[in-house]
Amino acid sequence: MANYSSRVRTDIARWLQADLIDVSTADVLTRDVEANERKSLSFGSILAMMAALLFGAAVLIFVAANWEAIPRLARVAALFAIILAGYVGGGALKTRDHAAIGEALWIIAAAAFGGSIALIGQMYHLSGDETSALITWGAGTALAAVALRSNPLTVASVGIADAWLFLRGFDYFGHAEFPHLFVVVASVLFAISFWTRSQAARHLIILSVIFYLVLLFTEHETLQVAVPLIVVSTLLFAAAIFAAGPVDRILQLGGRLPLHALIGFLSGLAMVQFELAGESNNSAFGIASAVALAGIVAAIVLGGRESRGLRWVAYAGFAFELAIIYVVMLQSMLDTAGFFLAAAVLLGLLALVILRVEKRMRARA
Amino acid sequence: MTGKRLIISAVALALVQIGFLSWIIAGRAAILRDGRQVLLRVEPIDPRDLLRGDYILLSYDISRIPVKLIANIPAGKLTSDDTPIVVRLKQGADGYWEATAAWFGQAPAPAASDEADIVGHVAEGWDLSVATTIAPNYGIERFYLPEGEGMAIQNDMRVRPFGIRVAIAADGAAQIKALMDGDKTLFEEPLY
Repeated sequence: MANYSSRVRTDIARWLQADLIDVSTADVLTRDVEANERKSLSFGSILAMMAALLFGAAVLIFVAANWEAIPRLARVAALFAIILAGYVGGGALKTRDHAAIGEALWIIAAAAFGGSIALIGQMYHLSGDETSALITWGAGTALAAVALRSNPLTVASVGIADAWLFLRGFDYFGHAEFPHLFVVVASVLFAISFWTRSQAARHLIILSVIFYLVLLFTEHETLQVAVPLIVVSTLLFAAAIFAAGPVDRILQLGGRLPLHALIGFLSGLAMVQFELAGESNNSAFGIASAVALAGIVAAIVLGGRESRGLRWVAYAGFAFELAIIYVVMLQSMLDTAGFFLAAAVLLGLLALVILRVEKRMRARA
Repeated sequence: MTGKRLIISAVALALVQIGFLSWIIAGRAAILRDGRQVLLRVEPIDPRDLLRGDYILLSYDISRIPVKLIANIPAGKLTSDDTPIVVRLKQGADGYWEATAAWFGQAPAPAASDEADIVGHVAEGWDLSVATTIAPNYGIERFYLPEGEGMAIQNDMRVRPFGIRVAIAADGAAQIKALMDGDKTLFEEPLY
């Protein structure tokens, strides 16, 4: 692949020189080659990325060890050197057709930036918690993603934002405030992902936003989170199915928006069900469960044929629904043996449904 | 993106990030160099940080400010807002500095020459009735140590008084300068 793209690039340069195409066309063509090149993740580039992540982790842990044998200023200088060498060296390699190694070096540089923040905190005993350090780190990484137009760096900054959300959301450091800032962060990163052509980042962001809403729900236990999530997910699902082409041209999610919408829909309904489960009157819970099951069936009928992933999300949702309906509606009647019997029956039922649907899908395909 | 532009972006990016980090270091070093020095009495709480390694959590005497010291609580206010707090310090007879007054927001008048103002932060929701205390943060509640040394020092700190020498900038930002065991300096921080 690298061979082909490098050949095309020399061709583009030649066409440009021969005045067959103008500069902007050459730029567009080069970008297109690059974008499509990225889609084929080779084994080598995966290994390079893993090596970069390990190296980055080594840098961070080395900082954490606070090893006195090397003076602090030397440690700072070493990290600064890694930042400079990583970004510039990565850029140089990228222009010389070693894109995978170049991106890996950028990841190392971003890790060194995070390590430097931690080291400064350690040098001056800054007691601001890790979450604010994570914000700075994530912002620096997002800046790097924009400046270098890098897909892996975009994913990395989403990952750092998620780590921040996770730590804050579960109140790891004992703060009372809820991380509402995440919505802003997610929107900014979503916008960045178009510039950096990072479809992976967009998928991760959408899932993270759903996770944020789940956290919000556990914090406040309110239907004000769940109902809009259900409505928006339903609308998005409909849009993604009935206007698949235009919607995907805008969002560029590789046709996987229905999957996200279904996850959002089921998460929202699960919130409603948890909220209603405690009430003595089960009829509202029954309605919510019926809506969830209907939604799952509708999703399979409307989008199941095109997407195996969607079907498996639907099955997982179905399994969850069976479990929660059983626990809420029937638990009082049965003892432990009864529970196992019921679990066996439910699992058997689930297997039956999955097997039948998969068979029908195969037959139709 | 053409090759040259990418390299230029990469260089600019690296310089921006390194510049940003250097700016933080320079700011902190400036406080250490120029700040007013005060000695505060501390006791340890508990160690360890995910990214930055071993540390002792420090609780200062001034980490608990009696509400009656705060001069500008509006009448009828029951709980605190999320706000900065200025705590005025004065050296006691034993050499340790103690809080003599405090204000939410800003101090009405600058500190006298034998006093120092440290700026902390108060979380929302502290009870403001007269007999209680509130717990501001000053950003100096951690002391990082080489791996493995945290526990020993922390255990010593439980049996005899330790102090932290702190440098306070003109704007009230505080920076740990040294860890003191009685009169003995255990760790002295270099500027960089």
